[in-house]
Amino acid sequence: MHCHNSNEFDIIKSRTMNAELLLVKIAYAIHKSRLCAVMIGNAGAALHGAPVTTLDIDFMFRKTAGDLKKLREIADTLSAYILKPFYPVSGLYRIINDNIGLQLDFMSEVHGIKSFESLQSRAVGVDFNGNSILVADLEDIIISKKTAARPQDIAVITLLEAVLDEKKRQRETT
Amino acid sequence: MKKKDSEKQLEALKIETEKALIEQIRRLLRLPMNKRTNFLRVRLHGGGSSL
Repeated sequence: MHCHNSNEFDIIKSRTMNAELLLVKIAYAIHKSRLCAVMIGNAGAALHGAPVTTLDIDFMFRKTAGDLKKLREIADTLSAYILKPFYPVSGLYRIINDNIGLQLDFMSEVHGIKSFESLQSRAVGVDFNGNSILVADLEDIIISKKTAARPQDIAVITLLEAVLDEKKRQRETT
Repeated sequence: MKKKDSEKQLEALKIETEKALIEQIRRLLRLPMNKRTNFLRVRLHGGGSSL
């Protein structure tokens, strides 16, 4: 018989509608490892207010020996394992915990993003139960999707631009 | 005549869809960033996904 501890079960229940508990765990794991990573992709866009969905949560990071060690620490904290799906050419590291449906993709290279430092400088910190996750600026996420130009990226660009326009409109009226 | 009616209906539908989208975005923007978390889909056994 397969058993989950109560914490994992809570996440599974809530995850079907809401990623908040999962993000609390991720924020804690990132904070504990001291990894500097910036959330990008649809998860980042959703935190900016875009009505989009995703199966995984993407991050950009610096692929240094120290940061790879920190990724292993994050995987340990989340009781997860690391895959390198497109070895050896890609800078993608995937952290997975099947029990709680966790899939985190850490990328050292992202379409349209010139450097990690520039992305980080524009990112905003979002607090999850006392630990912060850096989320890329929405304009950077849009640039990245326009540059990648896969069908799933093109499909959401209009939505993301509508959010950006609405945010600008709200800033101008306040 | 019928074609014109259907064009009008499609135009009205498009306007309503855009209005609904803007309202959805405004509802999300009223929440703090750490509460805009209803974005995760779940993989289903045998393929596909659901919210």
